Order: sequence, then C-alpha cells, then structure tokens
Amino acid sequence: MKVILEGKGLSKWYQMGEVRVEALRSVDFEIYEGEFAVVLGPSGSGKSTMLNIIGGMDQVSQGELYYLKEPLHTANEKQLTRYRRSSVGFIFQFYNLMPNLTALENVLLASEIADRPLNAQDILDEVGLGDRKDHFPSQLSGGEQQRVAVARAIVKNPDILLCDEPTGALDFTTGIQVLKLLKKFQQEYQKTVMVITHNAGIADMADRVFQMRDGKIAAVHNVELPVSPEEVSW
Amino acid sequence: MLKRKMLRDLKENKLAYIACLVIIAIGLMIFTSVSMVMENLYSARDIFYEEARFADGFARVNSMPAGDINRLSDIEGVSEIEGRLVKDVRVLFPGSERNVYLRLVSLPEGKSSPINTPVLIEGAPLSEKSRNLWVCPSFFEAQNFELGYEIPLLIEGRSIPFAIVGTAQSPEFVYAMRTAQEMYPMPETFGIGYLPFSMMKTLFQERDQVNDLVFLLEPGYSYEEVEERLKPRLGRYGLISIFSREDQMSHAILTMELQGLEGSSTAMPILFLGIAGVILYILLMRMVEQQRGQIGTLKAFGYTGRELLFHYLSYALILGFIGGMVGGLLGIWLSFPYTEMYRDFFQLPGLESTFSLKYLVLGILLSLFFSVLAGYFGCRNSLKLQPAEAMRPPAPPPARRTWLERWDFFWNLLTVQGKMSVRNLFRNKQRSFFTLIGVMFAFSMMAVTWYFNSIVDILIYDQFEKVQTHNVRVTFSRPLSLKEVERELRRLPGMKRVEPIVEVPVTLKHRWQEKDTIIMGLGEDAFLYNILTDQGERISPPERGIILTERLSDELNAPVGTELTLESYWIRESRSVKVVDVIPQYLGTNAYMEINALNKYLGHGSLATSALLAVEDDSIPFFRERYLNAQPVASIEESGALIEKFNELMESFGAMQYIFTVFGFIIGFAIIYNSSIVSLSERKRELASLKVMGMTSGEVLQVLTFEQWLVSLSGMLVGIPFTIVLMNAMSRAFESDLYSIPVQTEGQFFMMAFLGTAFSILIAQWTIAKRISQLSLVEVLKERD
Repeated sequence: MKVILEGKGLSKWYQMGEVRVEALRSVDFEIYEGEFAVVLGPSGSGKSTMLNIIGGMDQVSQGELYYLKEPLHTANEKQLTRYRRSSVGFIFQFYNLMPNLTALENVLLASEIADRPLNAQDILDEVGLGDRKDHFPSQLSGGEQQRVAVARAIVKNPDILLCDEPTGALDFTTGIQVLKLLKKFQQEYQKTVMVITHNAGIADMADRVFQMRDGKIAAVHNVELPVSPEEVSW
Repeated sequence: MLKRKMLRDLKENKLAYIACLVIIAIGLMIFTSVSMVMENLYSARDIFYEEARFADGFARVNSMPAGDINRLSDIEGVSEIEGRLVKDVRVLFPGSERNVYLRLVSLPEGKSSPINTPVLIEGAPLSEKSRNLWVCPSFFEAQNFELGYEIPLLIEGRSIPFAIVGTAQSPEFVYAMRTAQEMYPMPETFGIGYLPFSMMKTLFQERDQVNDLVFLLEPGYSYEEVEERLKPRLGRYGLISIFSREDQMSHAILTMELQGLEGSSTAMPILFLGIAGVILYILLMRMVEQQRGQIGTLKAFGYTGRELLFHYLSYALILGFIGGMVGGLLGIWLSFPYTEMYRDFFQLPGLESTFSLKYLVLGILLSLFFSVLAGYFGCRNSLKLQPAEAMRPPAPPPARRTWLERWDFFWNLLTVQGKMSVRNLFRNKQRSFFTLIGVMFAFSMMAVTWYFNSIVDILIYDQFEKVQTHNVRVTFSRPLSLKEVERELRRLPGMKRVEPIVEVPVTLKHRWQEKDTIIMGLGEDAFLYNILTDQGERISPPERGIILTERLSDELNAPVGTELTLESYWIRESRSVKVVDVIPQYLGTNAYMEINALNKYLGHGSLATSALLAVEDDSIPFFRERYLNAQPVASIEESGALIEKFNELMESFGAMQYIFTVFGFIIGFAIIYNSSIVSLSERKRELASLKVMGMTSGEVLQVLTFEQWLVSLSGMLVGIPFTIVLMNAMSRAFESDLYSIPVQTEGQFFMMAFLGTAFSILIAQWTIAKRISQLSLVEVLKERD
C-alpha cells in the first residue's frame, strides 16, 4: 500500500517556564493512502500534538516527517500554508465555524481557496443540510454545526481528513451521524481519514488503530473486520 | 493582588493603551498650554491696560487747536480727553536705502500719567529741551540700537537727528502695524517713537494744533453714547475717523487672538479626550467580556461587584491620571516657549509664563472625568454578571442578514471574506460607528490643516500675481495733482507704466449699518491693480456707482443695487452712491470707483494720493535714490519685499500645520489600531481557523482590513461635508477687515487628507499583520470557546 504520511523519530517538546514538557518522544509511523486510521489515547498522551504536526500547524522539535515523500519538517510557513490549503481538511471538536457566515457560506469560504474544490451545494446536500444552507451557526444544533464543519473540510477535496475528537461535543446519535459521513468520504472518494479520540468505541470502525501513551505509540494493530459506523457504540 | 492583575493586563495590550494615553496627553497638553498662555496674555494685558490707562475711544482729525480740547471734556460720559500729534516719518539710515518708518506720538507735558502712558522699559525720562525720544522695544531690538544712539528722522523734508534715551511701550501699540494691510508687525521697517508735544509741534510747525484724540469714559457710559455726542463736535476740525477701543487695531487683533485661544482651549481638548474616551470604552468593554471567566471566579470566591467595578475602573483611572499628568506637565513646559512666541507678536510688558499648578490640577481632573466616564460605561457589565453565568462562555454572537444583502448586485460582488466583514461590521454597530467618527475626525483635521496651508498660497498668489501687478508703489505725503504725478513719473528711465490712484477714507452707511473703509479710485484702463470677479475676470472700475468687496457688502447688508450714503472729511455733505457690483476679495476690505468719477465726486480737482508703477527692475535703485527723500513722497514700497515677508509669516504657520497633521495621524492610527486589537482578541479563534483551513496570513488580514477600509472610507466620505462645515466655521471665526478666508471645496487638500489618513490606517494594519502571522494556531485552537 502506498504511504501517504511517514514519521521518523518525531519528537516535540515545549518549554513551559523552566520545565521542558515532552509531548512526543521519538515516534515512528506510516499512514497509508485511503485508510481509516484512529489514534487512541488518554488525554495528555500526545495524540493532539501528533495531529497538529501532521496537519502542518506546528513544527517538530526533532525527527522527520514526509507527506508523499515531501519533507514537512523543513517546510517554511509559506509551504505549510500551501499544504494545509490543498492537501488537508480539518475537523475540530468545537466546529470552529465562522459565526457570521451561513452554512453554505462557510463551505464556500473553504472552496474558494482550494485548487480543485467540489461543489459546495452538493456537499452540503450530502451531509444532509441542503435545506439549512441559509442558517447561521447560532441557528444550528451542535450536530448540524459539526456536519457543516465536515462539509467545509471535504469541499476542498483534500487528500487527508484530520479529525480531532469529532464527536467529543456531540451526543451519541448525532456523533454516529458524523462518523457515517467520515466513513462515506473515505470510501466514496478513496481518501485518508485520521481520527484522534479517547473514545475506544470508535476504534472498531478503523482499518488500523494506533495506541498512544506518554508521547509514544504503544501499539499498532490492524482491525480485521471494521464495523460500520451504525454498529459503533460507547 | 488585583493590582498585579491590572498591571499585567495593561502590559499585555500596551500599544493600545499607549495610543490611548498619547491622545489623552495631547488633549491635556493643548488644554494646559493654551489655557496658561491665555491666562498669561489676559493678565499681562489687563495689568498693562490698567497701569497705562488705555483709552476707551480714539478719534483722528485733520487739525484741531489744543486749546479746544478741554471744552470737550464737558461732554457727558467723557471722564478725560487728550489731544496729541501722531505722524509717520522716515528714519534715514546713512548709506542705506531701506524704508524704515517711525510713528511719532506726542506726549502731553506736565502730566505724569496721560492716557495711553508709554511705560518706560529702560533708559531715562525724556527731556523737553533736547532732541530726544523713546522708541518701542521691538523696534529698538530689531534695529540693533543702543541707548544714546542718534537717528536722523526725515521731518518736513529735513533730516533731523534724535537721540534715543529710552524704550517705552504703550498699550496702543501692543501689536504695532503701520497699516492694516501688513497683517503682521514688522519691527525691521516700522516702529513707534514718543516725544514731548512741545518738541513735536515745533518740528512740524503745527503751532498748537493736534491731529489725534484719545479719551476715557466715565463708568456707566457706553462708547456708543459718547460717540454720538462727540462726533458732531469734531466735525468742524475735519473728523477722519472715530472708533472705540474694540476697533483699535492693536486691541482688536489681541482680542481676536485671545478668542481664538479660548476656542482651542476648549474644543481641542474635548475632541482629543472624547476620542480617547471612546477608545478606552471599547478596550475596557472588550476586556470585561474576555475576562468573564475570571470575573465569575473572583465573584465566586467573594469579591463584591463594587470591588470588581472599581478594579476595572482603576484601569481608566490610571490612564486618565498618567495621561493627565504627562499632558499637563508637557503643557506647562510648552507654555514657556509658547508664551515666548507671543512675546514676539504682542509687546506686552510683563508677559511671561509662570509655573501654575492650577491648570495641571484642572487638567488632571478633566482627564479623570473623561476616562472614568468612559471606563464606567465600558465595565458596568461586569457588575451584572452572576458568578455561575459569568464562568460559562458567552452565548455565540447571533448573526443576522444585513440590509445590504438585499442589494444582490453589491452582495454578489463580495467574496466570502467580504461578506464576513460586512456582517461583522453590522454586528458591532456601535463600535463601527465610533471607528467611523474617529476616522472622520482624523480626516477632517488633516483636510482643514492642508486647506489652510493651500489657501495661504491662493491668497498671496491672487493678491500679488493677479490683483496687485505693479512692482513699486509710491505713496504721497499729501494729495498731488494727478496730471503732474503722471508727467513727473512717466519720463523716468525704465518706467513702463504709471497709474496714479486716489485712496479716500470714507464712512459708508446703509440704514443702521455703517462701516469705515477706503474707496480706491482706479483708472478705467487700470492694469497694475485689477478688480476681479469671482470667476477671475477683470472688470473696469465703474464711472457711475461703486464696487464693494463681499465682506463689506455683507456687513452693510448691501447687495448690488443698494443706495449707500457716503461720508468723508474730504467732502462737506454726505452723498449717495449706488452699489453696482460686489467682488470677492481676501486681503483687505474696501470699495472701488473710477478715479475721475471719484475725483469729481469729491470736488477737489484731479488728485492722486499714490501711484502704482511698473518699473524695470534695474531702474528701481535709481528711482529710490531720486525720490526717497523727496518731501511729497511718504513711502516707496516694493512688492517683492512684501511677498517675502508674507512668506516668512506663513512659514511660522507652516509649523503648526505639521503638528496638526501629526495629531490627525495619531488619531487615525490609534483608532484603527485599537479596533484591530479588539477584533483580533475577539476573533482570534475565527482567524486561526481560517489559517488552519489554508488561508495565508495576508488573506486572513484581509478579513479584518476589508472591514476597516469599508468603515474608514465611509468615515472619510462623511468627513468631506464635515470638513466643509468646519472650514466655514473657521473662515467665519477668522474673518476680519484685514483678510477673509475663502471656502473652496475643490483642491488637492482632500486628496492629501485622504492619503494621510490612509497612511495612518496602513501603519496600524501593518502592526496587526505581524500579530496575525505570529498567531499560534495550536494554542488558539486548544483553548475552549
């Protein structure tokens, strides 16, 4: 299988006053094209740091990171912006929508800057919000807001979708809806989806699961038969 | 502990608070320095007027026996009246052809403190036996005289040396100008001399005649009543003019200046403090919103609402106090050179700056008042919060469609970033409004400043390039025959053109309005002095009727077609004359007639009082030499020298212009910087999300700047009519008989103001751009909403 992302000896530490906090300690990994990867770990295990680095939002302290053989660890701010713009889609726990743009406009905002965007209206229909397109975030429920966020990430037509606790702020039913969308994206568009969560239930729908602890990858295992999102439970 | 929190909070946003502080300080600096200068001027003036017994009324007559004066003191309302001789003479500097004039004023003998007593500044008393005089200190200094110097004066065609035994200052010549047209005291060419009456009358062979009267009023009488009684009694002596202290040139200019100062000592500080107040209000309101969590926590463990309100108010108090203190001290410091500057203009003995705590304290109170007011409205919300509520994040800002969206054409033109900007602008209506007002002020301040800068050029250019096209003007000491003047001057080498003119002092009356002015009689084909219409077209002086300048026409309420009554000591009876045209004129106010028609009207034959000349430049020295000392010639003026002096004066204005441009610039910067800082802190998360999505820092900045430009451009647009209103108000305030300021709405000054304001906005945005590119995505997104 083709490797889309590769990390070699990735370390990240923060200087907090006089204390050095090590968030990542020499992590090695490979992410394959088109897989659904879940990074599982308790809070403080370094999973968010890993996502930030993979997403080009943060620099590594040590080690090497490649996206399709292109080095990201030496990329400058401009190159990282380019990378975020065309290759990566983000979904956050707290949606981070623009409060004064309607659902459709939020999606359009992303499609405007992308190189090969999908049709914004179609994507909004696909996440089931076609009829709510003129609503502002404050007029949408949490689940609806997160679906707009998913649409916003997908519309850029990125190679990788990075999701940080995408269901963390949602109730069970709406959480499942969002997971279904992520799965659909991975299967229909043949894209890579990477979900970071402390919710072990989600791991059942992954192709591969990375277990993190204390800034290290403690274990990686392949899931033989990933379940469908509807069967996930927590 | 709260104190420590405050200091750290202030440090975090230091540039925003510093900008606010600078504006407060500027406001207070203006307040303190202008107030102090004003007080210095007022007290110096009042003490000096009192001490020197400044006259309440003045009259000029042709000639009047000194013995008749005592009889006038019987007039009801006159407490004292004195007669004197006032004559302008030339000072002859050996080997120099400079035109220097001294106005000689006689002092009554045997009176220790006459009306308008010249106060001896240095030197010895005058002696009645030898030829000695006092001169005014500014003249003394400008000519590099020393006590005991002898200066030759040209009196009745003879050169007579006088010894300077002292310098003295009279309240009448605090602002000493030879004629109103000069606008500016020029001690290099004009001074005042004082000498005993007996000496002066012998020199001028006037026997016991006087030509000038000054009087004091009895308490309880108005000048107008007395003028009414005095005027008929002076008619037989050839009354030239009679006027009150209010219309006396030196006093009028000093009063005008004081009024101007009074205006700026209130308007400017209020403007600056108002803007600072708005900035402070927005900053504090934002801070209270941002710190809801902290407020909730503090309340939860027992701080009272009042303690918290006081905590947030103390930010405002600190800024108000520091700003007031810094501004006040700067103002006090500034008042010294500022007063010094006035000493050059106004010769008031005892005018000096003293350290005064009064205005410092007043200023600090004023500044505290404004900042506490702004602070209170900014943070009163902190009181209302309940602890539990405060610790929850505020409800997401509701977004709504704006009315602008109904214009599909406009709306579809916008990018999504543009739409965000527009909605955000309407979401914070109040803040957008304040920003707009701030930009409007910055813009108008620059526009008005640039306007006055350019208008001075227009004034000078119009006057010397288009109106007064002669290069030499000869003024005669008495009216001469027009024909002889022409004959005499025309034959000189290098003479290109000679145009004799008549200038007659008159009183024009229309119903109850009346105005003293000068009628200028010009030849029909006058070429060296042009009467221009508002379109800039040259018109001939009328053979029937009279042309008025706009200001004169306004003051007399006399539009074209009005019949005016004309009085003059040149004619016995008053006559009527019709207004045939009204022209704009920025320097001086007067009226025009055709010279022969005017002469006929006056009935003294064909006369000339001056001649305008176009002379080859290299013939001027010869011309000077020939006529400078001629008895019928009172003065020879070259236009070039006059233009130079104007330009000199304008340069000192120029400095003020730059200071105000800088003030406008600071306001523009502070307003936009502050609005950016607030937006940035409020929308950090939003902006970071945009960056995460892959927008460049530049694109993210655009979301903020698009909004700012939209508001700023509207502010500047509103600033255009506001500037015109300001210009009209200022033009009215500055208008006088000496000059009026035209209001023109076209010109590059709007462009300059636009560029200046835009530049200050760009600088503010540039500092914000740096912050956006440094925005740490990880940290911002890690924070919870």
